Amino acid sequence: MIRESLRRIFALIKKEFITIWKDPKSRGVIIALPLLQLFVFANAITMEVKNIDMVVIDRDNSVESRELLSRFEHSPRFRKFYYVTEEKDFQKKLDTQSVQIGLYIDNDFSSSVKAQRPVDIMVAVDGRQTNSASIAGAYAAQIIGDYNNEITSSNGAKINVVVRNWFNPNLEYRWYILTVIVSMLALVITLLLTALSIARERELGTFDQLIVSPLSSFEILVGKTVPPLFIAMVLTSLMTLIVVAVFKVPFAGSVVLFLIAIFISLLSIVGVGLFISSICKTQQQAVLGVITFQTPAVLLSGFISPIEDMPVFLQYFTLLNPVRFFMLLTRGIFLKGMGFEDVFVNLIPLILIAMVTLTLASWTFKRNLD
Amino acid sequence: MKILRALIKKEFFQITRDPSSIIIAFILPLISILIYMYGINLDTVKVTMGIKNDDANPEVTTLVKSFGHSKYVNSIVYDNEDELAEAIIRSRLKGAVIIPNDFSTKISRGQTGEILIITDGSEVNTANYVQNYSMQIVNQWLMTGKYGGLAKKQIINPVMRVWYNQDLNSHYFILPGSIAITMTLIGILLTALVVAREWERGTMEAILSTSVRKIDIVLGKYIPYFVLGMLSMAFNVFMCVVVFKVPFRGSILMLFTVSGLFLFTSLGIGLLISSILKNQFLASQVSLGIAFLPALLLSGLMFPINSMPVFFQWLTRILPPRYFITFIESEFMAGTVWEIVIINSVFLTVLGLILFAAVYKKTDMRLVK
Amino acid sequence: MITVEIRNLIKTFSETTAIDNLSLDIEKGKITGLIGADGAGKTTLIRLIIGLLLPDSGEVKTLDLNPFTQKSELTPKIGYMPQKFGLYEDLTVIENLWLYADLKNQPYEFDKMLEFTNLKQFQDRLAGALSGGMKQKLGLACALLGTPDFLVLDEPSVGVDPISRKDLMKMVRDLINPETTVLWSTAYLDEAHSFDTAVVLDKGKVIYNGRPHDLSSTSKGFEEKVIELMGGYKKEDSLIAENYKPISSDLNCTVEAVNLEKKYGNFYAVRNNSFCINRGEIFGLLGPNGAGKSTSFKMMCGLTSPTDGTAKIMGIDILENPEKARSNLGYMAQKFSLYGSLTVRQNLEFFAAAYGINFSDRKKRVDEIIHVFGFEDIQEQKSEDLSLGFKQRLSMACALIHNPPILFLDEPTSGVDVITRRDFWNHIISLAKKGVTILVTTHFMDEAEYCDRISLFYKGETIAVGTPDELKQKANADNMEDTFITLIKESEKE
Repeated sequence: MIRESLRRIFALIKKEFITIWKDPKSRGVIIALPLLQLFVFANAITMEVKNIDMVVIDRDNSVESRELLSRFEHSPRFRKFYYVTEEKDFQKKLDTQSVQIGLYIDNDFSSSVKAQRPVDIMVAVDGRQTNSASIAGAYAAQIIGDYNNEITSSNGAKINVVVRNWFNPNLEYRWYILTVIVSMLALVITLLLTALSIARERELGTFDQLIVSPLSSFEILVGKTVPPLFIAMVLTSLMTLIVVAVFKVPFAGSVVLFLIAIFISLLSIVGVGLFISSICKTQQQAVLGVITFQTPAVLLSGFISPIEDMPVFLQYFTLLNPVRFFMLLTRGIFLKGMGFEDVFVNLIPLILIAMVTLTLASWTFKRNLD
Repeated sequence: MKILRALIKKEFFQITRDPSSIIIAFILPLISILIYMYGINLDTVKVTMGIKNDDANPEVTTLVKSFGHSKYVNSIVYDNEDELAEAIIRSRLKGAVIIPNDFSTKISRGQTGEILIITDGSEVNTANYVQNYSMQIVNQWLMTGKYGGLAKKQIINPVMRVWYNQDLNSHYFILPGSIAITMTLIGILLTALVVAREWERGTMEAILSTSVRKIDIVLGKYIPYFVLGMLSMAFNVFMCVVVFKVPFRGSILMLFTVSGLFLFTSLGIGLLISSILKNQFLASQVSLGIAFLPALLLSGLMFPINSMPVFFQWLTRILPPRYFITFIESEFMAGTVWEIVIINSVFLTVLGLILFAAVYKKTDMRLVK
Repeated sequence: MITVEIRNLIKTFSETTAIDNLSLDIEKGKITGLIGADGAGKTTLIRLIIGLLLPDSGEVKTLDLNPFTQKSELTPKIGYMPQKFGLYEDLTVIENLWLYADLKNQPYEFDKMLEFTNLKQFQDRLAGALSGGMKQKLGLACALLGTPDFLVLDEPSVGVDPISRKDLMKMVRDLINPETTVLWSTAYLDEAHSFDTAVVLDKGKVIYNGRPHDLSSTSKGFEEKVIELMGGYKKEDSLIAENYKPISSDLNCTVEAVNLEKKYGNFYAVRNNSFCINRGEIFGLLGPNGAGKSTSFKMMCGLTSPTDGTAKIMGIDILENPEKARSNLGYMAQKFSLYGSLTVRQNLEFFAAAYGINFSDRKKRVDEIIHVFGFEDIQEQKSEDLSLGFKQRLSMACALIHNPPILFLDEPTSGVDVITRRDFWNHIISLAKKGVTILVTTHFMDEAEYCDRISLFYKGETIAVGTPDELKQKANADNMEDTFITLIKESEKE
């Protein structure tokens, strides 16, 4: 009985592998596309704002103001400087996004510094790119602050803030973004593999043939789960290996825990994908289902904006989002060396999601027939 | 002309029959806008931090309190350093402040007091916030508190002006930017399946046996989805401007002209995928695989393009959303800036025409097998 | 006068030669039938003639134009109906007509056409919701728009009932003028017999070109002659049946329908359908397209749940224990529904395993089936690249792979050439003799004669049940085709 069942499941798994793997185009989409994207994203994405171009009006044109400006010129973050005299040129440079930041030094600058009298310097940032603008603004403030400390003659109490960045001492953005990208690419590919699988069979009529065969719902479910899960596991492990070997991100945690975590995470995504697929009659509907799930899942995963900042109802909503836990686990184990207990706590919601979606999917196989 | 009109009419009938096109054009933007509006917040990130104070001086408790009062920090007081460490590993805390027992003594002597800040470096963004907020709070406390008189004075005071977005409301650029992301998805998804579908269902064979010209087939796909896409665009703008009150300083005419150019390129990508693959399964896989992440991550909406290595900066030049995002954010926040309009329009037009030529070339007028 | 002139035409696809140095003339103003075995190259030839494909070498002149260089001048003069009818299923009848009228630069004058096809009352219905017969008429109507000089029909009558086929023939004959040339590929030899010329293709070559009546004066005789031309059919003992291991059972009704009913809103797709099929019986479900045969079929194997009643397979209720009931079943769906990206062999292996044939027996069984169905040369081909006829054969082979005691065959022979059809039925009859119970639908009335009993289905209800002879008597007709038409018309009157 069990042997027969295994035989049927094995046949289905083999068939799925052939369908996914035989077509070179499909292989390209599943393996080459994510690897290519991994390389591009890893190299391109950064939050460190570099190559900042700046427009300057120096009304003072004194030793002090030039000294301050030379600090900017020597900073590796700043690239080009445009010295203008007219305010309308200043405005224009910012308007046309030729520069991201503008500095305005008034003509009382050197006299105030000499007299140790407080003086304002205007730093204008381009708010159309609020993100990088405020970071560039912070760099500018820091340079000004350093200069401040040197020219201020008075001594006094100050606070030295010692910062220790755990798990990522130099706050390398790449370490963070790579762990995020691995899980996002795994999400996208896993959904692709699963969400179309049943919908496509429905559209082509082959699903009827499966239902008429002695394969039970459970067997179909297993047969539809294993191949995409296997491929996604291999792909995720491969990407992780690349992250460690090529991009030299230190792997802090336990490999076994990591494999367990991605297994359960991917299982829950397979569950979501199969559920989407089981309620769709055509491939077009399935594509729609993927986008409707994927967009909120990625945006609300905590990657772009922290979950703690969302309105409370959305925070609860993210408990249903497997990507949230997936990312937390990959990052946690990879960079922070999360232990078993912590991993387990975060696996619970994923297991629940997987159970519910897979059950619903197998239940829907046989309903939704008319 | 008559043939083209007939093909367009046919496509519209099909659009009205199939709810999925309508869902892509109107429900998808609605969901996206709601998410970007309520789920994404880039300006006032609130972080949860642990505080451990080893200094018994009552004045220092005011420092602990000022962490509690900051609207950017959610602070929890810890006595035990191990618990603190554990909470950071579990991502319950994004960072911590540790005040050593000699802190107030040193400050009151006019010396340098040390404070330790720990961040969870695995989340680089929040780690930066933890660092910056803590420094601000600590310095603020020093200047305004009891030790204010002892503190070292600052002479140069940088006055930050955020042009075009004085309120520093990130939604003012995120929402217009999100339109670009959504419109990329819409453009590609609407058209990625439509040519493949005709090949699979055998209707292409029937159409090819009538006197249609290649240009009729190509325009017969571009025009209807262009119209639908522009309606969707109008809906997006309406949601942003009227419902969510994002200030719009530009010209509506300009906005829709450049949006039209952008849509022209997006539709081209979808149609190209569809015409090359002639298979719905592969076409949907490819378009799902390429439409979402690159548009979100490489277009400059979330991550600055200027900071990328030169090669990748060049690479982003083939991404239509890049140009559209620059344009739409500027149009919304700064009004029409001709330089920005022209340069981005030129790039979009060139990309759109290249794609159009490719679609035209890949449109087969005969069967292959 | 000659409409199409073909000289030394060659067309190959990767490995196979579809058209092999073929030369042929098609006369103007005549109806020419194109007949041939599956994969003989009929569809390829048609596509080459109208310029939808480019040849490797050779010349074609269609209406004095070169289809490969002057396609745009040629197409306005041609009316073409491809195999899948070329209809937009998500457009209504009238919208399809509008579209094709515009594409052919014709006025919107469809009254005569709609009248003629009886589609007037359905003009606002989606083409996808039409029955097969009506789709075919609409497809033809679209092809006929603008009274083309040359009408090309690729298997227009696949899967269509005898009444609709008659209508179609009448439509073509009435709506064309004497100048019009018609090229009509078909698997129905009685149809081909009524044409002016018959062209028989085999392996990409013309093996006969002449008047059908020169071969034989009756359609029956014509069929025999064509079979002879195509290499002849030698009835052999069915290897499938020989290898079949009968299951002993003392059940009376191995397949039973108990008051099956399917209701959509107020509309009964199937109503009050009860029958009992004995072990080893061939039970035929006959009826026009849209009568509810396929719905009954789907309910019988549990693909659709009935609104009332149930079905029993080997005494097992399909609603209560679907998996167990279905393990006794071999099912062949109407539409090709095997895995297109798998090869012939992989499909067979998959279904063998899905039906629980163990590993050691599997290879033997698959080899056996490949041999019996003549798949040796194509076993490594992707099944989506097969010709229509081979697809049908493969579906049949997959349904038989696990030696089921019961076979459900939904139009197993539609689109299959005459020799293969005979071979199919040889297997079916031999299997029935071995005790296999068979439920079958067909639109070939000659095939209906092979059935032990027939249930005639119309508008969701059974209007007559009996042996073929009983039904013929009842209708007072001497062949099944007339029986069918008479009985349907009678029930129409009531």
